[in-house]
Amino acid sequence: MANQTPAVVMDNGTGYSKLGFAGNDSPSFVFPTAISTKSPAGGAGGSGSGRPAVANKPSFLTGGAGPGSHLHGKRGTEDLDFFIGDEALSASAGPGYGIQYPIRHGQIDNWDLMERFWSNSIFKYLRVEPEDHYFLLTEPPLNPPENRENTAEIMFESFNCAGLYIAVQAVLALAASWTSSKVHDRSLTGTVIDSGAGVTHVIPVAEGYVIGSSIKSVPIAGRDITNFVQSLLRDRGEPDSSLATAERIKEEYCYVSPDIVKEFARFDREADDRFRKHTVNYPNGKSVQVDVGYERFLAPEIFFNPEIYSSDFLTPLPNIVDTVIQTSPIDVRRGLYKNIVLSGGSTLYKDFGRRLQRDIRHLVDARIQASEARSGGAKSGGLDVQVISHKRQRHGPWFGGSLLGQTPEFRSYCHTKAEYDEIGPSIVRRFALLGGPGST
Amino acid sequence: MLLLDYQNVLIESLLRDRFVPGASPVSIDQVVSDFDGVTFHISTPETKSKILVSIHVKCFSELVQYGAQAVLEREYGPYIVAPESGYDFSVQIDLEDLPEDQEARDDLMRRVSLLKRNAMAAPFEQAFDEFHQLQEEASKYTSESAPQGVKEGGEVRAIHYREEEAIYIKASHDRVTVIFSTVFREETDRIFGKVFLQEFVDARRRAIQNAPQVLFLNEPPLELQGIPGINTSGSGEIGYITFVLFPRHLTNQRRAEVISHIQTFRDYFHYHIKASKAYIHSRMRKRTADFLQGTFKFRFVDVCVLTEIQSYVVPDLKQRRRSARQLVEGHSRFNRDFRNSTCVSQCI
Repeated sequence: MANQTPAVVMDNGTGYSKLGFAGNDSPSFVFPTAISTKSPAGGAGGSGSGRPAVANKPSFLTGGAGPGSHLHGKRGTEDLDFFIGDEALSASAGPGYGIQYPIRHGQIDNWDLMERFWSNSIFKYLRVEPEDHYFLLTEPPLNPPENRENTAEIMFESFNCAGLYIAVQAVLALAASWTSSKVHDRSLTGTVIDSGAGVTHVIPVAEGYVIGSSIKSVPIAGRDITNFVQSLLRDRGEPDSSLATAERIKEEYCYVSPDIVKEFARFDREADDRFRKHTVNYPNGKSVQVDVGYERFLAPEIFFNPEIYSSDFLTPLPNIVDTVIQTSPIDVRRGLYKNIVLSGGSTLYKDFGRRLQRDIRHLVDARIQASEARSGGAKSGGLDVQVISHKRQRHGPWFGGSLLGQTPEFRSYCHTKAEYDEIGPSIVRRFALLGGPGST
Repeated sequence: MLLLDYQNVLIESLLRDRFVPGASPVSIDQVVSDFDGVTFHISTPETKSKILVSIHVKCFSELVQYGAQAVLEREYGPYIVAPESGYDFSVQIDLEDLPEDQEARDDLMRRVSLLKRNAMAAPFEQAFDEFHQLQEEASKYTSESAPQGVKEGGEVRAIHYREEEAIYIKASHDRVTVIFSTVFREETDRIFGKVFLQEFVDARRRAIQNAPQVLFLNEPPLELQGIPGINTSGSGEIGYITFVLFPRHLTNQRRAEVISHIQTFRDYFHYHIKASKAYIHSRMRKRTADFLQGTFKFRFVDVCVLTEIQSYVVPDLKQRRRSARQLVEGHSRFNRDFRNSTCVSQCI
């Protein structure tokens, strides 16, 4: 390690960016993927409709420059006048700066902003000379290859980075689960349940390759749970029912119950033990007490019984996972059931994994029994369902990247600057599978 | 961001979080890099309240030769501990034994986050001191009668802080010369660098009279002649940037600021080359987008191409249809018959 600089691992998500160096067990920086520039907010959708105008052209063709950005008028150093991350949020609160989010739905939407976001991440926060370091970036499943090429263009041509590897977040999340004691073989086959702030994805991965046709997404994630907690607080008329309080309560008190009816009964029986009080301190020195009651187990329950929260999305998460695996190729289904890996902040509730495992197992067992009955006497060998939760779940993809980025063979999997110069951006359409069979 | 920070942001933010009164200590173990191949290790090896910050600098032996130990001892005195194995210098901060008042805490936080800057500052400080000495010495003579040693100035201090690049510092009786050698691997970078440096060279001529004189050469300047390890091939890959610091930059009040500034020069320089490229890229994107907009207006066949491309980008079928329809409606102004063509109906 003395001569080799550690690889830089950057996981840019829709909500938060995780930056750090390979070999560490947590990212050095976690901040919102936001950039505030010196211009009236948001080039897009300026018509005041409140909704961004439907692009009549894919974003990578317009380059995200948006209408009316008079680049030719900028001759000075205006392009350096911007902030990213938490600083961006505070700058946009003041006058003169507008906030923008360069990533939408997991994919990079505005390349100009993203290039500057990366520039600042590298030079201000990580403080590295990109020419000295290899980079590991992440991408969502089904990212179009053009986006990958654009990323490579920026990384190699603007930053001259020494080498680049782009990994799929779901695959990295699988690699992160290798730290769990339940995982014995380091396989890259499994189902990833990735639940962040905005959306929950269920992604089947076979031998490191994402089965794109079977991916399903659930429109219930962290933000919905917070909203649900908030609505419960409002209904009861608690003294403080702000979004921030709801979020604190969600993070500190919520857990998943095995059975809601029994849990209600238990709350009524052992009220002292189950009900909690949350103290909110205000900056002016005052504080109020908020009761925390049934929302402790009801909030995460919306994954399993969505009807208590939403009226248009009614399929419970276990059923979705089951459908995803059933629509995958038959020869990998056993591996997918055996290795269901959790990732993202909204999977951190206590006993989330246990409940999910039980519910999926019920579905599977019911199906096996039905088919045994139909076949008239044949016996099934049974199917192993295992949900894996581990300590690094919160920043799963980043940690997986850190794990793989520190392996000695990581550099041989990267595309280097020289290779890029020789072949061009199309080189990044394919990467050898890092951590797959053949490597350690 | 015009100038790069001198301090390490991670160390600063980690310490700030932990220096808040009442904050509970958390264990850390992070190996992070900084510019110029510097590595930090921030850890809590014994207890959660004792934070050990270690630094590894490539050229530490050279820095020690130029008095780094003394500078570091002056800055970190009581906090210094034996260096961790694999690292060159360590400081340990006990959270239970912090200075009482907030100002002293902030000062400690700032000092620790400037660890790299302080380690690298030693040769500069030494050279500045030598300059003051020589100046005093020289004031005793007229310019003709000065003995050789005073006229010539001191020896050249070389810091090989990167694999192929180095800083050379030379003090004489009326100036301190700082020379950076820098390598450009890329043709584009070299050109950007040249334009950029020309601005530096011209700055003095135009507006900023107080600026240090800057020279840019592709072969080693005269000051470096006879120094071992200088590449004289003149292939153009290596550039030499000379800063001449005059007495007004070397006063005791200015000193710390000047050292911080000049240390980050190389990284600042490369940062701006990269930022300029990013800026030019954004102009290129804009121009391409404008061109495409023009072409797409008139050619029907592009509708099909576009819908195909769009299917990559817009996974939502409803939105895809809508945008395709919008496009076709736009085109039908030019030719009503397009609506009936089979190709369009396939698209929609």
